[in-house]
Amino acid sequence: MPYSWKKRKNLIILLSLIFLQLILISVQVPLGEEENYFEKVVFTVFSPLQHGVVSFFRGLGNFWKSYIGLHRVHKDNERLREEMFFLKQENNLLREMLKVYRTEKEISGLSLDLQKNILPARVIGIDASNVWKSLNINKGSLDGVKKNMVVLDKHGHLVGRIINPISFREARVQMITDTESGVSVIPEAKDVPGVLIGEGNGRCKLEFIISTDTAIVEGDRLITAGFDGIYFPGIVVGRILSVVGVEGLFKIIKVEPSFKIQELDLLAIITVDSKEVF
Amino acid sequence: MALSVVAAFLLYTVLSKISLSLLHLINLFSLVVIYFASERGEICGACLGTFCGLIQDSFSLGVFGVAGVSKTLMGFLAGYFAGKVNVTPLKRSFLFIFVLISMELFIWASLFTFIFSERVSTGGGLLFFQPLLTALLGSAGLYFIRKKKKSSS
Repeated sequence: MPYSWKKRKNLIILLSLIFLQLILISVQVPLGEEENYFEKVVFTVFSPLQHGVVSFFRGLGNFWKSYIGLHRVHKDNERLREEMFFLKQENNLLREMLKVYRTEKEISGLSLDLQKNILPARVIGIDASNVWKSLNINKGSLDGVKKNMVVLDKHGHLVGRIINPISFREARVQMITDTESGVSVIPEAKDVPGVLIGEGNGRCKLEFIISTDTAIVEGDRLITAGFDGIYFPGIVVGRILSVVGVEGLFKIIKVEPSFKIQELDLLAIITVDSKEVF
Repeated sequence: MALSVVAAFLLYTVLSKISLSLLHLINLFSLVVIYFASERGEICGACLGTFCGLIQDSFSLGVFGVAGVSKTLMGFLAGYFAGKVNVTPLKRSFLFIFVLISMELFIWASLFTFIFSERVSTGGGLLFFQPLLTALLGSAGLYFIRKKKKSSS
């Protein structure tokens, strides 16, 4: 008799736990990306641990680089000087090209403003269910991070945007490869806007391009169009992999994002609202 | 127990920094759940499964509770069967973990597909090897832990 009660008690506990979680799931489903308070608490408690582990290993790496691997410094210095020289040249050329549209004063103001509004951040964790959905970074609300800020990789390619939860020193980034992500994009030098949606597997698809449209071809580079009010225009997003014209209303277009997930370590958060600058 | 969960979480962070593929291949949280469930019974397994699953959920974008449900069930079953069958021999331990991880993966993938209406990312098929690799790692780990415990007692 007591054994049977114990068995029943265990089953009741199991069913209660599952029932509670099913309620939790059903409460969230209509909310979409809005996180619940419990999730925020768990994120706030555990993300500093992630932050600590990554900082510890980076510290170890820095120790190695700073004290043991010094023989490479001179070589690296030379390489960086050369790289900086070419970047300066490129910057000057781009400034010249920009003069066609803006005055010198406007350009200087714009570049200074942009420099002030770039916040560097490091990746401290990656999505536990699908690496192509989101990542965690080591900057949070105390650093001025807010929802919908644009996140770029070290080459200036679009990675995604800041979403909830944002804790004091950590935040989450929704990547453009997430199936819930949507970015207004346009092929370079072509007037065919579309919406880029993630496929959750490292690729994206370009939607709402009419079947009769022939302007978009394989290899076209996509940049943000700025129509969505989140991503400012001109950021490099990806390249078109394939274009298939179907009998339906829209074409099936596959896109390869420009950022490389293996290289995502240092990121740039643009802390300015796109509407304020452009 | 709390230390093991924290250790699993820290290891998970380290693995993600080493290679993203490792996240598809090794399920550390499940190993912690299976170990404590087989040592302390099904209720401990279910509660720890809920806790670990919710931690995993809070570090992923999407619905909070999907990994929680699958790990709760897995933890309960791990504790239940460990109480009925002796799972300490190496081969049996391997099979035990392999079946449990496969079942957890199946429940998680079914819930994920049902809720999000999208296919689970398998990391180029790597996810299918998760039960095998986690079972190999887990059974070897459990074997050494039990051996060490035996020799110290």
